[in-house]
Amino acid sequence: MKLPTLGSLALLSLLPSACLAQSQHTSNWAVLVSTSRFWFNYRHLANVLSMYRTVKRLGIPDSQIILMLSDDVACNPRNTFPGTVYNNADRAIDLYGDNIEVDYRGYEVTVENFIRLLTDRVPPDTPRSKRLLTDDRSNIFIYMTGHGGNEFLKFQDAEEISAFDIADAFQQMFEKKRYNEMLFMIDTCQANTMYSKFYSPNILATGSSELDQSSYSHHADNDVGVAVIDRYTYFNLEYLETHVKNASSKHTLADLFSSYDPVKIASTPGIRTDLFRRDLSEVLITDFLGNVQNVEVDGDGMILDEDLLALARAAGYNITEQEWKDAMTGGYHEKTQEERDTVVGEQRTWEGPARVHKDRESDFWRNVMSAGAVGVCFVGYWVFSMVDKV
Amino acid sequence: MALRVPVNLRKNLSVVLYAFQGLSILAVIVGLASLLLLPLDEYSRRTYISENALLPGQVHAYFGGSEQNIVRAFRREVDLLGNSTSDVVAERMAEIFRSAGLKVGKQRYSYKAAGGEYTGENVYAVLHAPRGDATEAIVLCAPWRNIDHLLNEGGVALTLALSRYFKRWSLWSKDIIFLISSDARAGPQAWVDAYHDLHGENIQSLSVKSGAIQGVVVVDYPGAYHRFESLHIIYDGINGQLPNLDLINTAVQISRDQMGLRTDLQEMWNHDDGYRHRLRTMLRGMVNQALGHSTGPHSSFIPYHIDAITLATHGDGGWHDEGSLGRTVESVFRSLNNLLEHFHQSFFFYLLMAPKRFVSIGTYLPSAMLLAVGLTLTAIRLWVDPRSRSGEVEKEEKREKEREGGNQGEVVAVDGGPKRELFLPMSIVIGVHFCGVIPFAVFNSVDHKSMSSVFYISIATSVILPTLISILITLTASPHRLLPAFHLSRCFSLLFLGMFLSTLATLNFSLSFLIGLFSLPLTFARTTPKSVPSALVNSILLQATSPFAALFAVAGYWGLGVEDILKEASFGWWVWGMWTPVVVWCVWWPAWVVGRVSVDSSFVMAAMGKGGDL
Repeated sequence: MKLPTLGSLALLSLLPSACLAQSQHTSNWAVLVSTSRFWFNYRHLANVLSMYRTVKRLGIPDSQIILMLSDDVACNPRNTFPGTVYNNADRAIDLYGDNIEVDYRGYEVTVENFIRLLTDRVPPDTPRSKRLLTDDRSNIFIYMTGHGGNEFLKFQDAEEISAFDIADAFQQMFEKKRYNEMLFMIDTCQANTMYSKFYSPNILATGSSELDQSSYSHHADNDVGVAVIDRYTYFNLEYLETHVKNASSKHTLADLFSSYDPVKIASTPGIRTDLFRRDLSEVLITDFLGNVQNVEVDGDGMILDEDLLALARAAGYNITEQEWKDAMTGGYHEKTQEERDTVVGEQRTWEGPARVHKDRESDFWRNVMSAGAVGVCFVGYWVFSMVDKV
Repeated sequence: MALRVPVNLRKNLSVVLYAFQGLSILAVIVGLASLLLLPLDEYSRRTYISENALLPGQVHAYFGGSEQNIVRAFRREVDLLGNSTSDVVAERMAEIFRSAGLKVGKQRYSYKAAGGEYTGENVYAVLHAPRGDATEAIVLCAPWRNIDHLLNEGGVALTLALSRYFKRWSLWSKDIIFLISSDARAGPQAWVDAYHDLHGENIQSLSVKSGAIQGVVVVDYPGAYHRFESLHIIYDGINGQLPNLDLINTAVQISRDQMGLRTDLQEMWNHDDGYRHRLRTMLRGMVNQALGHSTGPHSSFIPYHIDAITLATHGDGGWHDEGSLGRTVESVFRSLNNLLEHFHQSFFFYLLMAPKRFVSIGTYLPSAMLLAVGLTLTAIRLWVDPRSRSGEVEKEEKREKEREGGNQGEVVAVDGGPKRELFLPMSIVIGVHFCGVIPFAVFNSVDHKSMSSVFYISIATSVILPTLISILITLTASPHRLLPAFHLSRCFSLLFLGMFLSTLATLNFSLSFLIGLFSLPLTFARTTPKSVPSALVNSILLQATSPFAALFAVAGYWGLGVEDILKEASFGWWVWGMWTPVVVWCVWWPAWVVGRVSVDSSFVMAAMGKGGDL
């Protein structure tokens, strides 16, 4: 009696994991970068620390956040309130409090280090805290702020990264299967130009201002004596603080993006979705800014595909042999470069049994599916109990 | 065919000569007109803060309230010391600084200039930035007596109060030095020289020092009455150097926009931002720049590439008091504190015409350059002029030509005809330029009591000297060389002046422009005119625009005696290292002498019956 129970449990647990396999992620990472130096760029540090606070609040642990702070405004002698960074003149929240882990600080924040971090081409002695240890099931949130221009972002008053550099780094990440999906958010002047060169799939990008538009600061603190936050970040943060209260929030990125008001932000925020395959109204904010606990069973679970195919067919799916094989072996990756290029942008979506049907499937098929699943379970139970008797 | 045009021009040189004359007149007219166009909106620009780090007026200034009582207490203290000697004052100031917990230093100095001795004792205190690294410093300075020798009661009291107040803030990134200099002219110079270890032997070294000085604000708030109307921003440095425009913009923006305090420039108290007021402000600035003298304690800092301004209060009918001024200074210091290293973003060469309007060097430079070009074109014209060629040689060549016969005439024309005799004119020009050292040395070494008598003697000398030189030359040189010699000497002299002025224009535009303006008669005076009366008229015209006449003009402008100006010049040379006397005596005066020699030569030659072959 033991075996059939175990077997059926194993079978049951296989189903959902297979279902979730490719449409969802199993870890969340955040790369938060401020690129400006000097005291008068206080607001950029405050921007990035605000985002740091948000992703931490929504559950991403410090071990999965790479925080790059180009200057130390908290300990700048000019700071009226030593050891603090505030993003609001009301000074309600000290963003630099006692629980902060800065991974790259000061002059470590360079274009080279940033690209090495993304592509994981780091020296062998690099500590784990300075590496982006993602895989093809990781969703990455990348936030950048600083002084930018048309297709570049200034790093440290000394060098700049171009839109092409970032786009190429992302393509490398894609080739090295370092992400599942990526949300790229940037708050600089002419920010939207920075993501214009992206060509790798599954990237969603948003920026604060169009070509030839400046991004403005929101307000200044007259005791600290500097502007404390930029407008675009301020309104992002306002939405996140007031709507996305915790990691189980069901607000989607479509909600966030539709909250952008160009009049309030004083520039035209941009959103780029053509590389992204999901509908924004189905993408939870917490898919990127929060932490999720999906589990993928590792190993040769896919070897059981024959059985699954049989099960799926039994469940009423009309799947050809070839379709099944492609899906199981990751056929997408074996395509030639030309084919891949044409596919980029209209990412192939999963057609197998794992797809979660919501609205378009009729009740009838859903019933058939349910009945089939129950039937399969029953047949399985019967087969295993027969084996047990024998 | 290719040679045909030059050959024809050589045969008919008057076209070329007129063209040069026309061009040089045109250059001068365009130069003057372009200066007058500058105040228009189309040619000037609104000022703007170029350095991002400054963030002027973005902080609340908290100086006020009970601090005001402290200022008034210190006022009383200063008032009581009003008639004391400088060492008593320095001791008391040092005591006050020490009681505020600051490191204190004192410095005695003594300068000798124009027979007088200028002594005093500076006292200063260093506030170390509590979280800074002591590599940079900013200075708050108040002279004990301001540039008009008034007791700077408010300024000193405010400095003392601010030293206590600033000590309470922990946000300084640079050390702050509070300097109370014993006067406004020699004291700051002695202090800044000693700070950089470049002081003379009669000046004490500093016992306490800090980092590199990045900015200086001087507070000039004399008198016992507390209220004032507006803030006068003084910015001219020694030798016409200027502080970075960002510093002035910061002060203007803070006092106007944050404190609601009117700002004035160049003593233009009722500036309506119209064309006339802009022009006057600009011209007043140019006069200060051209003279290159000190206009306040800040001036001495500027040659060290330290940006400095004086904030002087003006009027006593207003509603502003120590509080407003203190807050303005506090806010300026917060901006200076934000600075990263040097002021480097904005302009160092500019002309201000209203507190918020300026022209930068690219716009105004052409006008001075064109005056210099006018001189150079005249020099070229004199070179091309056939009268610069020795007549005898011409005759010899003609004779040679006749001897050889044939069709060699064209070849001679292309060759350029008779040679120019260069030795005599060169030695005249070089000799007179060396002579420039004499008045320079005399005026810088003479006692101020005998200054006026020496001045009148040298005026008399300079009236007679050119005539004497031309008589001397006429007597000694052979007649056929005379005319070319006078011609060429003026040519070289103008060439040199033109080159010098165009170089000077990039360093001290105003001085170059004003000398160019005074040298216009040198451009247009006809050399060796045929009629004696017109020669005399030219000679008188030149006399009216001599450096001495310019001295009278400057003296009249300030309502001072000529000897005061000369005393100031001598003081400037010995104390500040002011170069204006060098330019006047060693460049301008020799050029003027040579110009008059060549004009005088015509009636000298007429009188002596030489040069009749013209």
